[in-house]
Amino acid sequence: MIYPEPRFLPAGDRFVLIEFGNEMNLELNFMAQGLATEIAEQRTNGVIETAPCFASLLVHYDPDQISFRDLGKEMKALIRSLGPSDELVLDSRLFYLPTMYRDPWTRACVEDYCNKIVKKEIDPDFVARINGLADAEQLVRVHSGTEYWVASLGFWPGLPFMMALDPRCVITAPKYNPPRTWTPQGTVGMGGASTAIYPVATPGGYQIFARTPVPIWDTEKRFPVFHDSVVLFRAGDRVKFVPIGKEEFEFIEAKVKERTYIYNVVEYQKFSVRNYKAWVKVLETAKRF
Amino acid sequence: MTEEVLTQVPGNVWKVLVKPGDKVKPDDVLFILEVMKTEVPHVATQAGTVAAVHIGEGQEGVDAGTVAVTIGDHSP
Amino acid sequence: MLEVIKPGLETSIQDYPGRIGHWAQGFPPSGPMDAWSFRLANLLVGNQPGAAGLECQFVGPSLKFQRDTVIAVSGADMKPTLDGQAIPIWESVAVKRGQTLALSFATVGARAYIAVAGGIDTEPSLGSRSTFHKAGVGGMDGHALKPGQVVPVGNGSGKAGRRVKPDVRPPIPTDKRWTVEVVAGPNDDWVDEAGRQRFLSTDWKLSSKSDRTGFRLEGPQWTFTGKAYNKAPEHGSEPSNIIDQGYPVGAINLAGQTPIILVNDGPSMGGFINPYTVPSAAFWKLGQSKPAELLRFKIVTVEEAQDLRRSIDELCSERSIV
Repeated sequence: MIYPEPRFLPAGDRFVLIEFGNEMNLELNFMAQGLATEIAEQRTNGVIETAPCFASLLVHYDPDQISFRDLGKEMKALIRSLGPSDELVLDSRLFYLPTMYRDPWTRACVEDYCNKIVKKEIDPDFVARINGLADAEQLVRVHSGTEYWVASLGFWPGLPFMMALDPRCVITAPKYNPPRTWTPQGTVGMGGASTAIYPVATPGGYQIFARTPVPIWDTEKRFPVFHDSVVLFRAGDRVKFVPIGKEEFEFIEAKVKERTYIYNVVEYQKFSVRNYKAWVKVLETAKRF
Repeated sequence: MTEEVLTQVPGNVWKVLVKPGDKVKPDDVLFILEVMKTEVPHVATQAGTVAAVHIGEGQEGVDAGTVAVTIGDHSP
Repeated sequence: MLEVIKPGLETSIQDYPGRIGHWAQGFPPSGPMDAWSFRLANLLVGNQPGAAGLECQFVGPSLKFQRDTVIAVSGADMKPTLDGQAIPIWESVAVKRGQTLALSFATVGARAYIAVAGGIDTEPSLGSRSTFHKAGVGGMDGHALKPGQVVPVGNGSGKAGRRVKPDVRPPIPTDKRWTVEVVAGPNDDWVDEAGRQRFLSTDWKLSSKSDRTGFRLEGPQWTFTGKAYNKAPEHGSEPSNIIDQGYPVGAINLAGQTPIILVNDGPSMGGFINPYTVPSAAFWKLGQSKPAELLRFKIVTVEEAQDLRRSIDELCSERSIV
């Protein structure tokens, strides 16, 4: 549910967690990101930084500049001044990310898990089946058929947690139990209703079925897009996975190695929550690609 | 001359690789402790025969500075 | 300037307050776990309290100095020697070019800090020299010290013979028992009354599988309120699962039934509840506690926690030094 009033929860001596609701709902993330943007623009005194998550916003503050109580008052006032989330218009970059679906590397990783830990149905087939899709090919059409909204970053630096914007492409997937001990770098996977990209080879529990050759993390600043940031994404970005084959994957991988790969980023758009909601209203959400 | 091999870190005893009567030489790994998700091997610094082992595999919460293994020299 | 002869168990460059401002991208603050000892060591050698220094964990390093300088060692006593001769801790000491500082293992406390006049002078990464080795950021080439490396040090002038008054040093207990302050929340309403009582009346054992990412606690099972069970399925199947949320630094994160205190290098978000949070003022206690020691938690209000932190900040000043 979307709470009628956000909850302000103390989190130690320097943090406050603002909860907008308790479900996976883009609306809640729009509210969190809207508040984060407003705090940044207003340069609210005493706030050091904020970190939005699916349905909440974590605020890091300096208690020597603002008390917990006054921070709560400031946040409530800002939320009131923002009005309904329909009014939100956020800067939103769009990334076209070439991605090989049903790739051999995630397949090998899943097979390794089956051999060493516990047998399971291969992930693309499994996710297709539990979502009532015809086959793994339909999974590719459906998963790649939407832009994904970057709701949050974290767990590992730069790891984006994304939600499908087109309701016709919403699918869900349970997490591995027990988790995998490794995942190939660049893997694209799903847990719950969220899609993530693994920036480096970490353990993980998402169902995995695709891989991108494009780095989303770079401490060496090999590409202009990392000029100001080690991490590619920010909350509020959108990602479009562009299905490619193995040859294209290897071609791009080589370009990345040569440092000549050119990131495909669209940076002039704004995301209007009102326009988005109006669009969703006219869709026949029961029909899949 | 007897050598007392002390634990260098606090932690759990992951592996004990020697028993009384074993002959050891410098740099032989006697036991491995685990702390901070790191394995810390402990080696003999002298040649000799293991006289006693005071820790057990799987033992938890050993202090740093505990006498873990006593090594006597080869002389009878 | 500092040649690493032996690296110790894990010795890393840290500064205070660490890497701040990148939580939204998943970068933790890192920095020294015992910022109380850390800052006093810096003051002893004439540095700003937050200047970059070394954090030594359990077993300290051996370092050879390539020029004359002044140093100070604080925190847990690792019996430091200079060319084999014992030197005091909590006191600034003159070092001559060619001398070797060697730290042994700590028997009381877990972490020692080495400050060098001028401060460590590596290239900052994302605004800080602190080491976050999981992501290869900060520190020496992104990681803890390795043998053979030479750690650069800035120019500074320190005075030897300055000492921290004994009564303003962090009081590390010798009986293996700690009382650690916690603030209730953010998710304390997910734990039932019996569970909350149990949490506060248990001596939680610190697991040796603990590190700067998280301090794992061993103890009884947790029990929950309806919130943990009557929730939308997307939260996850465990009672302690929640829709992914931001984690405060110091959160006591309940992964299934295992409480893990998220410390300086911990994750910024995830899908488990945080019923309690350890405030900044109590972090030095975490930093000095050893595996198998017992932690008992004591509730304080947000304001009490903030006051406690302020009183420690006040101690990290020139007036603590003679």
